[in-house]
Amino acid sequence: MPEPRPPKQPWNKSSKLASFAGRRGFADAVLVIGSLLLAAVVFSLLLSVLWSVIVTGSSAIKPQFIYQNNRYISTTTSLDYGGVGHAILGTLELVLLATAVALPLGLAIAVYLTQSQSKLRNMVRSITQALAGLPSVVSGLFVLSIISFLGAPKSGIFGALALFPLMLPTVARVAEEALRLVPADLRLAALGLGAPNYRAFFQVILPAAKTGIITALLLGLARVVGETAPLILTIQANDGTNLNPLDGGIATLPTYIYGFISAGYASSITRAWGASLVLLIIVGILFVTARLLTGEKKKKKSKASK
Amino acid sequence: MPEITDKPKAVQVRRTLGKGVLNRGDRLFFGITSAASYFAFILVGLILVFLVAQAWPALQEQGFAFVYGDKWEVSEEKTILQIGPMLYGSVLIALLGVLVATPLAVATAYLIVFILPKGLSKLSTNLIDLLAALPSVIIGLWGVLVFTPIAQGWAEFLHKYLGWIPIFSTEKGTTTLNSSPFIAGWIVAVMIVPIITSVTREIFSQFDRDLVNGALALGATRWTVFRRVILPTTSGGITGGVLLGLGRAIGETVAIYYVLQLSMNINLFQVLEPRGGAIASWILSRFGEATDKEFHGLMAAGLVIFITTLVINLIANVIVNRAQPWRK
Repeated sequence: MPEPRPPKQPWNKSSKLASFAGRRGFADAVLVIGSLLLAAVVFSLLLSVLWSVIVTGSSAIKPQFIYQNNRYISTTTSLDYGGVGHAILGTLELVLLATAVALPLGLAIAVYLTQSQSKLRNMVRSITQALAGLPSVVSGLFVLSIISFLGAPKSGIFGALALFPLMLPTVARVAEEALRLVPADLRLAALGLGAPNYRAFFQVILPAAKTGIITALLLGLARVVGETAPLILTIQANDGTNLNPLDGGIATLPTYIYGFISAGYASSITRAWGASLVLLIIVGILFVTARLLTGEKKKKKSKASK
Repeated sequence: MPEITDKPKAVQVRRTLGKGVLNRGDRLFFGITSAASYFAFILVGLILVFLVAQAWPALQEQGFAFVYGDKWEVSEEKTILQIGPMLYGSVLIALLGVLVATPLAVATAYLIVFILPKGLSKLSTNLIDLLAALPSVIIGLWGVLVFTPIAQGWAEFLHKYLGWIPIFSTEKGTTTLNSSPFIAGWIVAVMIVPIITSVTREIFSQFDRDLVNGALALGATRWTVFRRVILPTTSGGITGGVLLGLGRAIGETVAIYYVLQLSMNINLFQVLEPRGGAIASWILSRFGEATDKEFHGLMAAGLVIFITTLVINLIANVIVNRAQPWRK
């Protein structure tokens, strides 16, 4: 009589892969591998964008590409001449003008949402969220209708005005989150010591939420620095450097890219790639700085709670 | 006779902050912040008023056919402005984009929250958010020069093997399958994946782990947990995220302008056919040489986008906020 076989010991199979065995495991494997594949599609699309901008763009970038302007440059001029210096300055100027209005206003909305007890807070929050979905072309058309109403010539200030509604909700939302992170006890303690609300805000809450507010600023900047459609509708292009927002055309990176893609020549498209790389670097710097700041903030917070 | 209730009148136990006795500085402080907040309403109102004022001449002249008609003729003697195919095309592309983006985004969020180790999931989150920050003109440039040749291959494959399905069919004589709603849908998907992912990730990450562990203890597999526990409880919030993406997709302008052949000859369902519509891109394409009358027509088109996206966004935000109670 043969010896009975030792019983199988499924608990010995403790390796991770074993959990994919059998009919039940098959569904799990499909789920895990399927989600890996789908996520791989997302990341390869993202990396493809970054890779093509960096590789193709860097072939256009020479030192003079960063600081020269585009005067006397046609769409077929060799890449040894001309650059995006004027567009970098123009972009920074318009974006800063938009920020000058959007930051205080967004901060005030965030304060209203976190510090006041008003019953309208939910409505304000909803309308701010709805503004966040405002299509950029609509913002451009809005300012265009103001221009045509005023009968004024197009100029840089209108471009900044078109960027402002797009920036405001981002600043308000991120600033609100930053203010929410400040422990309520701090504020209550200040109020308990007899401080009025505004001093509690400016002397206690604002310093505590400083990095969060800077993050709000940076993300707001990153949101609008690459906006194209509103600028095409509201400003005139300029090949030279013009820093007067009240008069004449002004060049910006997005409209520069747009113009040179539309021209369609090989050299003009290489210029567009180069300008895209410059724009990508600006967005990247804003974005990474914002992330580093929030990361530090969270670390500090978790240390404090320990 | 007064009614007698056994409920005592509520006693005010504490002063409501920001209300009641305030000194002058605080009144100014809250006055400024409330004024800023009401400005958000005023801004939306201003956008509406200015767009309506500029769109009115066109809407009055064209009547309701502006929305559904398919002629855009501008000449000396008559002007016909109708955006039917563009409006339809925008919706078609947005739906295609959502169709592609939703599985990608949900899978990415699931991977980030439930599978990847902490370091990798943080890196992935940052990468996805970076994707959201990429300017649409860069996506457009990439889309027309890098992505279109690749996607054209996919389109040819689909047409070759699945061409008998009406949506993958093409008209006679069509040889190159680029500049189609199919490609525009993919480009839109690239732009809305981060939106859907971040909403879904947030909802997943706040998901009650006890429910997952309980289900696993009862013998459920990863798949059953996902299908029977996670998805049913989070599908509402995911829908909200998808609607947010839809709103963004309908307003997308520059990227679609590059990758799509705009045509007033309506393309109902042949997604591989190189013609389609996108209302925001139409505005951009006509804007340069617009006559005075046409200008008002483009404003009216902008008004249509504004109202559509505003409604979609308001609904989406209600759903998302309801699904994220911890944010309040």
